[in-house]
Amino acid sequence: MKKVFLILSILLLLLSCNREDIIEPMPYDNPEIPLDIPLGFPQLNSSVDGNRPTKYGVELGEKLFHEKKFSGNNTISCSSCHNRSSAFADNNVQAIGIHGRVGLRNTPPIQNLAFMKFYNWDGNKLTLESQPLVPIITQEEMNSSIMEVIGKLRNGGEYRELFRKAFGDENITPDRIYRSIAQYEYTLISANSKYDKVKRNEGEAFTESEARGYQVFQQKCESCHSTELFTDQSFRNVGFPPNTSTEEAGRARVTGIPADYMSFRVPSLRNAEYTAPYGSFGQFPTLKAVLDYFDNGVLDADNLDPILKENGNRILLIEQEKEDIISFIKTLSDSTFVGK
Amino acid sequence: MKTSTKYSILFVAILILISCSKDDDNPVANNVTLHFNNTFKNTTIVLGDATSSTATANTSAEGQVHHFSELKYVISNIRLVKADGSEIPYNISDLDKGATVVDHSKAQTLDYVLTNIPVGEYRQLKFGLGVKPELNTLDEARFPNFYAEAGANDTKMHWEWGTGYRFTKIEGFYDTDHKQLSIHTGSTVEGTNGEPDTYTQGVDAYRDITLTLPDNAVVGRNAPRITINADFDKLLSGKTNTITLGAGNATPSIHTAANMVLFVDNLGGNGPSDISGMFSVSSVEN
Repeated sequence: MKKVFLILSILLLLLSCNREDIIEPMPYDNPEIPLDIPLGFPQLNSSVDGNRPTKYGVELGEKLFHEKKFSGNNTISCSSCHNRSSAFADNNVQAIGIHGRVGLRNTPPIQNLAFMKFYNWDGNKLTLESQPLVPIITQEEMNSSIMEVIGKLRNGGEYRELFRKAFGDENITPDRIYRSIAQYEYTLISANSKYDKVKRNEGEAFTESEARGYQVFQQKCESCHSTELFTDQSFRNVGFPPNTSTEEAGRARVTGIPADYMSFRVPSLRNAEYTAPYGSFGQFPTLKAVLDYFDNGVLDADNLDPILKENGNRILLIEQEKEDIISFIKTLSDSTFVGK
Repeated sequence: MKTSTKYSILFVAILILISCSKDDDNPVANNVTLHFNNTFKNTTIVLGDATSSTATANTSAEGQVHHFSELKYVISNIRLVKADGSEIPYNISDLDKGATVVDHSKAQTLDYVLTNIPVGEYRQLKFGLGVKPELNTLDEARFPNFYAEAGANDTKMHWEWGTGYRFTKIEGFYDTDHKQLSIHTGSTVEGTNGEPDTYTQGVDAYRDITLTLPDNAVVGRNAPRITINADFDKLLSGKTNTITLGAGNATPSIHTAANMVLFVDNLGGNGPSDISGMFSVSSVEN
């Protein structure tokens, strides 16, 4: 009896020793990344407060952003269309997804989204966390499902550690995927263009053409492309040639309101130099083509923007003004942001 | 020893008797089958392609002849109301167990069996056409079965850009030259419609339907079968809206919230004055 007891005790001791050896690794220190809010930028989207970027959250989000396993056949990642060198847009007329399928609209850039109240051309999403599911399931984009994606990420192995660092344990959940991608996107802030440096008195100055362009811009463009984001985030029908797809109704696609028909979110002009072509489905190959169109007159509509209606459905511009405006818009190019 | 054996036998005998009586005489619950009969007026619809000679043709109040090639809708949030007014919810917060896609081309989807309904007499049936906003998020992790059922290649009831379900999907043809019609409905609402504190934007296309049964459905030893007529004549000629496709008051392609509510109100009622839309109960078999 005594012998049995002794052996048992030794076994127990050994077991407890083993246990201590495979103790959980210490949780990583995962500090919050402070967002540097550029001077004069509007307030953060309120959902940022519930999903503050962290060191490992952003790292994971960036990796996921470039992960082709998000598409049904592992060919398309977020970055396939949202390419850093094009200010996280691309230069296709309309987005091109899995199997070369052509999407409904032109890829919007991903920049300064932490300060936006609406996402996508029609503002159907109000938080970044709710956005990634759209491309994942859309047949013209990634044509997959979130559980299919998670299945692939679990198989890889490498992601378990990254999720643990970002969220405290190895669970790969839809919510964590959405949150980490949003965290990464929150950090994509562009405010280091020539325009910004001029505004901040950092020793740069506008050329004569840029200065003239800024003048004209303030008179003829700024009522919509306002604030330091260069968009007032309103939805407007500016009489561009319409997308004839039955899937397209502009903002009315979401709201069902006739007055919103073919209205689109005023796009930011930051980094516009890198994001040609322009318009909700890439109607215009160049900035010059956009300005020519406004100058020549836009299509009439019951809900055409009142500012255009008051001005005879056009924005009169002489050639010199167009040239100058384009020079000014190019001062909004942030070469460090696009990695050039 | 002897006494205890006697007691044991008695005990076992009682157990057997109890279990027998439960099975045979007093069930506590039974099934209720909802049978969906999709019609134009009183004629059950036959689907067909553009030039089909067998498809059921219907003529709208405005004189537009039309027929369908595809007809699907989502039913969820099912509740049975007892004669005493108490409501029995049927997995109303679980799309995997309480929601279904009625697909006119698949006979097996026209019967939806509600299991384990408590014994009793029921006088009303309530259900939703579509999915209520709080569950309408295409949450595959939470409801993998319904997500897969609705998203199957031959079903296509995911509204991808709205990250919700399609509530109805109707494909077909109208006018004598068989122009295409394609009517999809779904919700884009953020927050709660009619609540200024939460509502931010969008349209709620979910409609709650209330139908009073012509005879009480008696759940007991028998499993009742309730036949629900869905009269798609109402699509263009509804209680709320009279619709003319094309040059009239609606485009024949409804794939967005624009113009959609005309159709939604006709199919599912407009809420305040119409809580049945195209639905009615034609019979209850007990």
